[in-house]
Amino acid sequence: MTTILLVDDEKLVQRSLEKTMLRAGYDVLTAEDCQSGSAVFAQNVQAVDIAVLDLNMPSFDGTPKNGAGLDLLDDLKKQRANLPVIILTAYDEVSKAKDAVARGANAFFVKGREQGLVELVQKILKNE
Amino acid sequence: MTNSIERHATLLKAAARAAKNITTILDPLVLFERTVDIICDEFGFYYAGIFLVDEAGQFAVLKAGRGEPGRDMLKGEHKLAIGGNSMIGACIANKQGRIALDVGAEAVFFENPHLPKTRSEMALPLIVGEEVVGALTVQSTEEAAFHEEDIAALQTMADQLAIAYQNSKLHKQAERRSRLLKAANRVGKEVTSILDVEKLLPQTVNIICEAYGLYYAGIFLLDAAGEYAELRAGYGKAGKAMLADGHKLKVGTDSMIGACIAMGEARIALDVGEERVHFKNPNLPHTRSEMALPLIYGGKPLGAVTIQSSEERAFTEDDITTLTTMAEHLAVAINNAHLIDELKEAHTEILRNKVFEALTSASTEAIHWIGNKTLPISLTVARLREEIASGQVDVESLKEDLDLISESAAQIIQVKEQLIGAVREMKPRSILLADIVQTAAQHRSISNQTLRVQVDPAAAYVIADSTQLTRAIGNILQNAAEAGAKSIQVTARPTEERGVVEIRVEDDGAGMSVESQQKVWSPFYSTRGTAHHGLGLPAALHVVSQSQGRAALVSEEGKGTTVAIFMPRGKSNDQAVEAGNVKSILLIDDNDDWAKLFAELLKGTKIKLTQSADLQKFPEADLILVDENIAALALTDVLAALSKAGLLAKTIVLTSAINPERVTQFLRAGVKDVAIKPYAGGEVSELLK
Repeated sequence: MTTILLVDDEKLVQRSLEKTMLRAGYDVLTAEDCQSGSAVFAQNVQAVDIAVLDLNMPSFDGTPKNGAGLDLLDDLKKQRANLPVIILTAYDEVSKAKDAVARGANAFFVKGREQGLVELVQKILKNE
Repeated sequence: MTNSIERHATLLKAAARAAKNITTILDPLVLFERTVDIICDEFGFYYAGIFLVDEAGQFAVLKAGRGEPGRDMLKGEHKLAIGGNSMIGACIANKQGRIALDVGAEAVFFENPHLPKTRSEMALPLIVGEEVVGALTVQSTEEAAFHEEDIAALQTMADQLAIAYQNSKLHKQAERRSRLLKAANRVGKEVTSILDVEKLLPQTVNIICEAYGLYYAGIFLLDAAGEYAELRAGYGKAGKAMLADGHKLKVGTDSMIGACIAMGEARIALDVGEERVHFKNPNLPHTRSEMALPLIYGGKPLGAVTIQSSEERAFTEDDITTLTTMAEHLAVAINNAHLIDELKEAHTEILRNKVFEALTSASTEAIHWIGNKTLPISLTVARLREEIASGQVDVESLKEDLDLISESAAQIIQVKEQLIGAVREMKPRSILLADIVQTAAQHRSISNQTLRVQVDPAAAYVIADSTQLTRAIGNILQNAAEAGAKSIQVTARPTEERGVVEIRVEDDGAGMSVESQQKVWSPFYSTRGTAHHGLGLPAALHVVSQSQGRAALVSEEGKGTTVAIFMPRGKSNDQAVEAGNVKSILLIDDNDDWAKLFAELLKGTKIKLTQSADLQKFPEADLILVDENIAALALTDVLAALSKAGLLAKTIVLTSAINPERVTQFLRAGVKDVAIKPYAGGEVSELLK
């Protein structure tokens, strides 16, 4: 079974994405900020097949931060360098997308085009 | 012999008396006029006249003459060639006194038709040092009236006259220079205090023309390429006309201005008609002298000043020194004005960048927020469609999905409310601040244990729309509560600024970081997680700004936050209440600030006011007023009790913050009306109508 780590501070977003992924047949682990995301991953380093991380959410110190998802990306990559990661954002900012890819993200996904998210996950996992 | 000695002695005495008189006169023309009179009166001569050598040294020009012949000759600009065949011309050329005892026999004598009776003449040179500056002619109707020894006697007087003339000239020069220095000082002082170049230049040409009494002054500044000097200010009508024509002169040698900028030094043209580089300007036909002074700052040419006089030879080389000082002051002032302009431009640029940054930040927050709130709706709808299409609908999952959609929609609606609130029409009036704060606290469920309100009597009223200010203060109180404040203190006091009240909301909540403080007024920015839309403070600021107020925030992490609102001060209004048909009112309220005010407003009317918070028994009244803001009772309980007693039809609910939801809610409950709370006598009269 494929396991997805989903980290998003918006409860409604998190739950609706979780349900969509569950329905597509994935196992979903959830967290709502960098700290809990890192902790959940640490307990499931080998089990998680792909991480979907919100870009803007509470940082490791608990305060909201633009680009906190990239900090978590760095943290997860330290724990497991070959982990596929998708960054989720509400704002399609090219420079942030470039930064995400430079830091090892596989994709940068803009919210509002969610219907393609399941296909994107499938595609990334197939290539891996 | 004795006669001759006596005569000579008389002449010497007369000469001494004349000399004494003339040495005290400082105006040259007055000096000359007085001298010719004194000579004729003291010595009893027929005529005396004084000539001065012209600038070119070619002619002796008559400057003063005795009596009518003198006046006629002055009028005819009488002058004699130096070295010519006149007594005066010869005496100047030879630097020696001459006498003609029988003028008819004197070869060099010019037969003057104005002085037909002259039979003897003496001509004496006026000598200062080595230089002959003019000559004195003395004429007698007697033949052989002068002796050789008389020359010595009168030459002494002529010498003193020459010295007196020289002194008066020096005095005039000194006086002129002093006046110029004073004027330069005034120009320097006045121009350096003007920092706007568009005001500085026109005012400077005015000051220069007034201070120096000049025909025209103009200021040119170099264009960006440094090729042309562009006229930026000009005196009077001529200046106005040239400015309208966009008058400019090429830097170089074609004009005085162009040349003075190119060479970096002052230029003077004493007779502009003869000056090769002078620009013959049709706008300035009376110019006879011009001076052009470069404006240089730090070795860099900025432009030039032209100063023009309608008098020939109006400027001396000495004036250049004085006026150069003035031009230096002006250059400093222009440079300062330029610097101020650059600073202003830099400030505008910074402001533009900041505004752009703020807008970008606000837009980013808004986009992020909208994305997050709409995502669950679109995502859930898409999933539901798939589930329905596949025929695998799970009822529990379906219920949860509907909740997800409903909750997202509710948050979007809340934002709509905040946005609508800010654009509602404002009805500013004097409102009772304590009542607004209490109502705001009640709307946001802030308990009396948490909130403390202290209003200085001098800050009891502010001018604002009560609905909007209740919303704004409510937003601030809610932020404090959500920051975990155990104590919220609201204080209001007058400020040192006339007519301004400061409302301070201090809490002991979590506080916020410096970064958050900078962003806190931006829409959609929130430090309290995703359930908040980040519109509370921006909406409060909007309301306060619309009420001609302003707001500020200081915060310290772990210690709390203080929001200060500065609002225009209102005043109590004791306008008499017109009762209409109402004879008795039952006010259901606790004894709060507004209830006290209402009782005060009704004093002096015949209305019987009963105040009660007892829901068991309602005293008889024509009208029942219910304050929405009752700390002791739940409004729903009050309305239920009134309904039970059948009194809702004469009940009006009073609120300081009216909105359609509340109005609908109370009207549906059966009350007669829902009205905005009155804070003045006139407003009570309106209510009782």
